[in-house]
Amino acid sequence: GLVQSCGHIIPESPVLALGSNFTALCILNESCLDFGNIYANQIIWKIKNKVVPKEQYREINRTVSSVTFNDTSSLATPLTCNVLADGQIEQNIYGIAVTIGLPPEKPKNLSCIVHQISKLTYHMTCTWKPGRHTFLDTHFRLKYRWPRESFPDCIPKDTNNSCTISDVQFFVNLEVWVEAANALGKAESDRLVFDPIEIVKPLPPHNLSVNSGILPTVLKLSWENWISAAVMELKFNIRYRIITDTNWIQVPPEDTASPRTSFSVQGLRPYTKYVFSIRCMKEDGVGYWSNWSEEKVGVTTED
Amino acid sequence: LGAGQSIQKTYDLTRYLEHQLRTLAGTYLNYLGPPFNEPDFTPPRLARAERVPGATVDLELWRGLTDNARLAANYRAYSRLLCYLRALDGQAGTAELRHRLGHFCSSLQGLVLSIAGVMSSLGYPLPAGPTAAPGSPGAANDFLKKMDEFWLLKELQTWLWRSAKDFNRLKKKVPPAVVTLRLEARGF
Amino acid sequence: DSRIQYERVGADVTMKCGSMDWDAAVTWTANGTDIDDSHLNGSYLILKNVDLTRSGQYSCYEGSSWHLKYQTYLKVGVPPKEPVLMCRSNNYPKGFYCSWHLPSPTYIPNSFNISVIHGTREMVCEKDIFPKNRCHIRYLQLFSTVKYKVTLTVTNALGKNSTTLTFDEFAIVKPDPPESVVAKPVPNNPRRLEVAWQNPSSWPDPESFPLKFFLRYRPLILDQWQHVELSDGTSHTITDAYAGKEYIIQVAAKDNDIGTWSDWSVAVHATPWTEEPKHLTTEVQITETTSTSTSSFMPPPTTKICDKGAG
Repeated sequence: GLVQSCGHIIPESPVLALGSNFTALCILNESCLDFGNIYANQIIWKIKNKVVPKEQYREINRTVSSVTFNDTSSLATPLTCNVLADGQIEQNIYGIAVTIGLPPEKPKNLSCIVHQISKLTYHMTCTWKPGRHTFLDTHFRLKYRWPRESFPDCIPKDTNNSCTISDVQFFVNLEVWVEAANALGKAESDRLVFDPIEIVKPLPPHNLSVNSGILPTVLKLSWENWISAAVMELKFNIRYRIITDTNWIQVPPEDTASPRTSFSVQGLRPYTKYVFSIRCMKEDGVGYWSNWSEEKVGVTTED
Repeated sequence: LGAGQSIQKTYDLTRYLEHQLRTLAGTYLNYLGPPFNEPDFTPPRLARAERVPGATVDLELWRGLTDNARLAANYRAYSRLLCYLRALDGQAGTAELRHRLGHFCSSLQGLVLSIAGVMSSLGYPLPAGPTAAPGSPGAANDFLKKMDEFWLLKELQTWLWRSAKDFNRLKKKVPPAVVTLRLEARGF
Repeated sequence: DSRIQYERVGADVTMKCGSMDWDAAVTWTANGTDIDDSHLNGSYLILKNVDLTRSGQYSCYEGSSWHLKYQTYLKVGVPPKEPVLMCRSNNYPKGFYCSWHLPSPTYIPNSFNISVIHGTREMVCEKDIFPKNRCHIRYLQLFSTVKYKVTLTVTNALGKNSTTLTFDEFAIVKPDPPESVVAKPVPNNPRRLEVAWQNPSSWPDPESFPLKFFLRYRPLILDQWQHVELSDGTSHTITDAYAGKEYIIQVAAKDNDIGTWSDWSVAVHATPWTEEPKHLTTEVQITETTSTSTSSFMPPPTTKICDKGAG
């Protein structure tokens, strides 16, 4: 074009907080002054194609003009610096992209749960409320550490409100928090300190079997637990219903509140088909109930 | 955490580690292959293997250990065992085995920290002097290397059994409910 | 001088009549009974393929003077087979004991010698007065990765045999069964039984070396046991006992971390509480009591959860 790069704007590509004020400078190259007969007082600032009111301009000196915005919410991309050259043809000097957004809010409601995946494998998933939309590229990191030992951050995948840690260590208190960061700043959630053993959701008991015995009103349940006693002792809920009925009946929880792998359910109707299901959790009630196990059918004997 | 709770958690961690090691050691010895994975195999214990801290202790001496000495012995042992184990877990067999070794190392690191936490909550200083494993020349051949690893796992297993008894004794002396002198908890 | 002569079962035995010549006239007796000439070869006594019944006192007398020229006590037996050796620590960490027996009798006296090696150190195995074939070793060190090597050698006049055991300190820890097991019903609870027991008295330090327990129980009407593993405490409440059925209950013990389970304790019996049968009373009283009393045959007080799949 007519004018080679006759100047530039600083800051180059600012990220600005919504509602804050902003000043940009358009700096003309000395070379252009002589050649193009262009001075700072001829500069016209434009947002997209709209001219910025002159009251917002200020001529800093022969080569520098500034423009100030008290509230960045009126700003948009591009912000250009232009001059009227030779016969009143408007010529662009330089333009910048302006990004408007908000600093991240403090992530809230951080909570974690350890899911048992298999006999020896546990994953801990933490979720949080990311806070308001920031209109900016905002990165979340789940941070966790022991006293005197940090672990690599957990970087969420395709989401901004949860992360899963696949190497969970029990019986050592862990400090966990979330850090949100974007160009306008950082924010940290409150810190949680807990032992992951206290937030386990175990796998439900498996290999549930139902056996009828001599007594027509009794069915004996047997099952296997996925979790070893070295990790935690379990308590159980057992529910059952007549196969044609929709209402579940639950064995009094106090009767299944200790470690076991079998239970005799009594007071049943003779020669009747029952459906059973069982779930488990840490014996001291700290943590989460497992899902209900697969249902198993048993039939009481005739009276 | 109070001292009593800290000790209970450390005891639970010791048993959890012992539970992990029971299956892990079997898998690792299978990776080492015969004769190391044969039940009655006992290789000679060369001088090299003596570098690994031994859990063996005179019975009366063990009974008479002060709480501080008991904890310090555990702290020093696991600090050094951890170094040896980390040297192990870099190149072991399958990805699954390496992952489980890595997880176990992390748990063991947790145990070292827990013991430090117990000592701190009881007002004991951490043992001075080197807790890292002394540098040592690599094993002359593969069989000697495997023998080193065999004895490392065996000593580690034995230490975990000893520690379970150590922390049982401590648990009885400092029950969870006791309000102890809460020193400023370093770290958190 | 009373001489003893040991011979193997099945052996052929020849006895000389002291210094008497082969052709001297002699008389042999076995336990005082004359032996017929078919067993004699000159003055030698020949016993073919001896069996256990041949054991006894054999005497040789000079033909005419009846002077006793030779007497021996013949013991027929067998050399010892490989002895069965068992070592066990039922009082860990005090020590362990080893006991042994022969898989089959030798019919002749045997002597036993036991050596206990731990690394390079030989340890003393102090013989117990009772039972006979047993001795115990006191631990000097604990938590050792060096195995113990116990060699038992059995010797008798006819031969020698030995057995060697090599084991880790932890592998032989096996407590004695729990003691003082008591089971009793729980009033007003037709399905509960309270079981309590004590640590075996032989277990010296349950504080530092706590035991965990295994409880098994079944109604006498069934063969199959139900099991519960209990990591601490010496009592448990069975909550699913069959109403009104007599139960048999046993407990086993194990060190919390090492070793193996004890044998089952002595079995105890108990029957859950059952409501006293009602006395025949007048019409009025019946109507009054029926509405309030809870019969033990009513379905159990259970929490009803409505929808299917409610969590």
